[in-house]
Amino acid sequence: MTVMLRINGEERAFYGDPMTPLVDVLRETLLLTGAKAVCREGFCGACTVLIDGVPTPSCLKPAGLSGGAEITSIEGLGIEGELTALQQALEDNDVVQCGMCFPGMVMTLTPFLAAKPDPTREEVKQALVGNICRCTGYERIIDAVLSIGNKERTP
Amino acid sequence: MTASIANPAVMNLARRDARDKLRGRTRYTIDHVTPGTLHAFLLRSEVPAARILRLDVTKARAMPGVRAIATAADAPGFFGIGIADHPLFAKDVIRYDGEPIAAVAAETLQQAQAAAAAIELEIAPLPASITMAQALAPDAPLIHENWRDYEILLEGAARGGNVAWEAKVMRGDTEAAFARPDVTIIDSCFSVGRQNHVPFEPRAVVATYEDGRFHIKTSTQVPWTVRNATARALDVPASQIRVTVPPVGGAFGLKFDCSLEPFAAVLARKTGRAVALVNSRREEMLTCLCRENAEIRIRSAVTKEGEIVGREATVLMDCGAYGGEQIFLTTMTAHTLGGNYKLGSARISSRAVYTNTAPNGAFRACNGVYNTFALERHTDEIAEAIGMHPMEFRRRNVIGDGDLGSTGQVFEGDVLGPMLEKMAALQAKAPATPRAPDDRRLFGRATTVGTWFIFVGPSSATINLNTDGSATLITSGVEIGSGTMVQSLPQIVAARLGIRPEDVVVKGADTDAAGFDLGVGGGRTTVSIGAASTAAADEVRKQILHAAGELLQTRVEDLELGAGRVEIRGVKGSGMTIAKVVQHLHGTVGPVAGTGAFTNPGVEAMAGCAMGHFIDAIDIPVFAVHDCEVAVDPDTGHVDVLSYRVVQDVGRALNPRAIHSQIQGGVVQGLGYALHEDMSVGPEGRILQSGFETYRLPGALDVVPVEIELHEGAPSIGPLGTKGAGEVPILNVGATIACAVSRAVGKPIHELPLTPPKVLDLILGDPRHLDHPHISATWIDNTIPVRA
Repeated sequence: MTVMLRINGEERAFYGDPMTPLVDVLRETLLLTGAKAVCREGFCGACTVLIDGVPTPSCLKPAGLSGGAEITSIEGLGIEGELTALQQALEDNDVVQCGMCFPGMVMTLTPFLAAKPDPTREEVKQALVGNICRCTGYERIIDAVLSIGNKERTP
Repeated sequence: MTASIANPAVMNLARRDARDKLRGRTRYTIDHVTPGTLHAFLLRSEVPAARILRLDVTKARAMPGVRAIATAADAPGFFGIGIADHPLFAKDVIRYDGEPIAAVAAETLQQAQAAAAAIELEIAPLPASITMAQALAPDAPLIHENWRDYEILLEGAARGGNVAWEAKVMRGDTEAAFARPDVTIIDSCFSVGRQNHVPFEPRAVVATYEDGRFHIKTSTQVPWTVRNATARALDVPASQIRVTVPPVGGAFGLKFDCSLEPFAAVLARKTGRAVALVNSRREEMLTCLCRENAEIRIRSAVTKEGEIVGREATVLMDCGAYGGEQIFLTTMTAHTLGGNYKLGSARISSRAVYTNTAPNGAFRACNGVYNTFALERHTDEIAEAIGMHPMEFRRRNVIGDGDLGSTGQVFEGDVLGPMLEKMAALQAKAPATPRAPDDRRLFGRATTVGTWFIFVGPSSATINLNTDGSATLITSGVEIGSGTMVQSLPQIVAARLGIRPEDVVVKGADTDAAGFDLGVGGGRTTVSIGAASTAAADEVRKQILHAAGELLQTRVEDLELGAGRVEIRGVKGSGMTIAKVVQHLHGTVGPVAGTGAFTNPGVEAMAGCAMGHFIDAIDIPVFAVHDCEVAVDPDTGHVDVLSYRVVQDVGRALNPRAIHSQIQGGVVQGLGYALHEDMSVGPEGRILQSGFETYRLPGALDVVPVEIELHEGAPSIGPLGTKGAGEVPILNVGATIACAVSRAVGKPIHELPLTPPKVLDLILGDPRHLDHPHISATWIDNTIPVRA
């Protein structure tokens, strides 16, 4: 069947099994490969996209249940690929390693920081419970996130 | 030991690949499965041991969308390390649950899976040895009936029955040492499970076959191993195989061996199409080339002054159904378990044991992680037995300048001693961890030492200087996330050529473009590829200086390179840009290129001390001192890590910030190993943890910021005095946590991981000493008898 999806502000059609996980539609049909299907169980967070602004594992979301919602993938952030303040902080602090988890991390932290622009260390850690990183050991990511608030505090 | 002098190669250069990784634009191998690519799927065994009676793919081949099916007939060769014992497909015998039997290529993955399910397979079950104790029992069936017939790729090791490989160390007379009247004998046994790397990108490959050559695009650390092993498996000349490597989404040693590549290659040859084979997470969990489970016995004869006059150890490493990396890793024991401390005499047997389980492999600091755990816990038991403070014992006994390693090599420089002092200073500076008065938790602290080494091995590099003043660095190095290819290598080359690291283009690995390389692992990349790149840079540097000398009418000795220019020494603006010199050379003698090569010069062991080792002595020792504080909940057995400190020997830190990141990440992987990454094999030989729900990885709330001090100045043959820094941070985490938890609960610890139920059991039970009945206390019984 045909499922109409609104992705990154654009109407896109998907022809196929409506039970197909959204992550596969993004990656295989729309060639938006930023979301990574790492565990396919909703534990790792690497396939996180925003569905009506809420970070959601796209591996557990059937395409057929995603119609009518506003879906934002990592490719939809920033203007023409410019980095957001969060991405810039992560780049400046050199926290990326293999990089596979970062699109998901960015998608989780973006609405978190919009709602809470000046979080504590513990709050950032709490926000990341659904995003696993195998390389970095997290702490430098948290330092980078906190540096955004600090910049605003001390211009 | 002096602090490093200012060097233009030292800087906190940020990664050039972060921007695309953060925007989801980076294309890993899994992102190269483009429309039109065929999907491959492997039919895998679901039993641990069986004889194949009949295999018929006729019906499956006629299923919709199926383009080819490959079986053992398509891949006649055997590959392996040390011994060629591994066929690509199970042919007559199935040796583990998960072993590939056939490979299907179809238009969609679902079609490939459906066809695999339709393959007709008849088997007769065989008795299986799931544990090493079973495999070593006198009446155990042979897992490889024809082990004697395998091609030997490295001579000199004892093998026999289910012992795939045995590496031995014999230095001095341990029997006499243990018979001394003035010694205490301490005997400890240890046991550890497997650890899964869980790289976020699974093993994945896309292969094509055109004009008689294979092109394998794969997520690997070892493009040349993939080339050569694929050639062996398919019985084709290695020159027919080209391997290229997109950015790798995590590896940690898992991708230090050839695995999926030959399947995709053979299917590409059959179909003439691009074929993708990507492990599902379940396949990746069940057939991961894990850090092996191991069983260890260490016995030491120690005087009351704390001198270790004799040490005997046996390490059983489960290699699974095929030898693989464990064959090589038996070599490590001499240096990891035989390291750290001065030994009057030593006998070590390190054995890779076949079992009917999924093969194991290499994982960051490989067998060093559990040997350090065993050695450090054993060391605490020694200190307790002779009534000496464990830190006093370590200070007296750590290896220093002129001391002998287990194989008799002579160590240079005092490294561990000063590092222990640095750790003591860090501890003294740190504020006491606050404790609530009603906190009922049990507290413990430990400091441990660890010995690792950089396995150097061959590397090559080519540098082309371009007319815009940039340089192109061509090697077989791979960016696996550690940053070597985007940080230390361009930093080294840029400093040598007097240009910016941003102006060093680093080409991704391509075996058609770059020369041989042993692979990215073991902490060797900065050292080996760095040394080859330095040699290549020196060649082009010479050409630039020579030409500039003529153009500027100045002696070469009076010229210097910097900021993209050649200058007369001390006279800024006197010279010209490097780009101008390259343009001049282009027009007069032709383009500017240089090549460099490097391999291990070889350090001497004592004659006759090491048998069956791939390397008898270590080129670059690396040391680590770790310290942690833990709090254990007496009601649940949950361990909280309160603080973690690392003093790491790095030789010279080229990019201190990047090294700090490696240490934070490595320590956290070690915390998972120590506390909750529990990979177990069920009674039917199947790995019980099939995904993230059952295999518990460290999360953001499990970790603490690691306090780090880099120890610089220890001797190293690496360029600019570097040593690899990314491998070693995980080395003594299991050891440190185990020693700290042992002290907190007041009970000896002999097993990892320390999951809450196990810790609770320790707290509630009587102190227990593990014993391995299948590892004799008489060391010689744990070796294959040498025929007279």
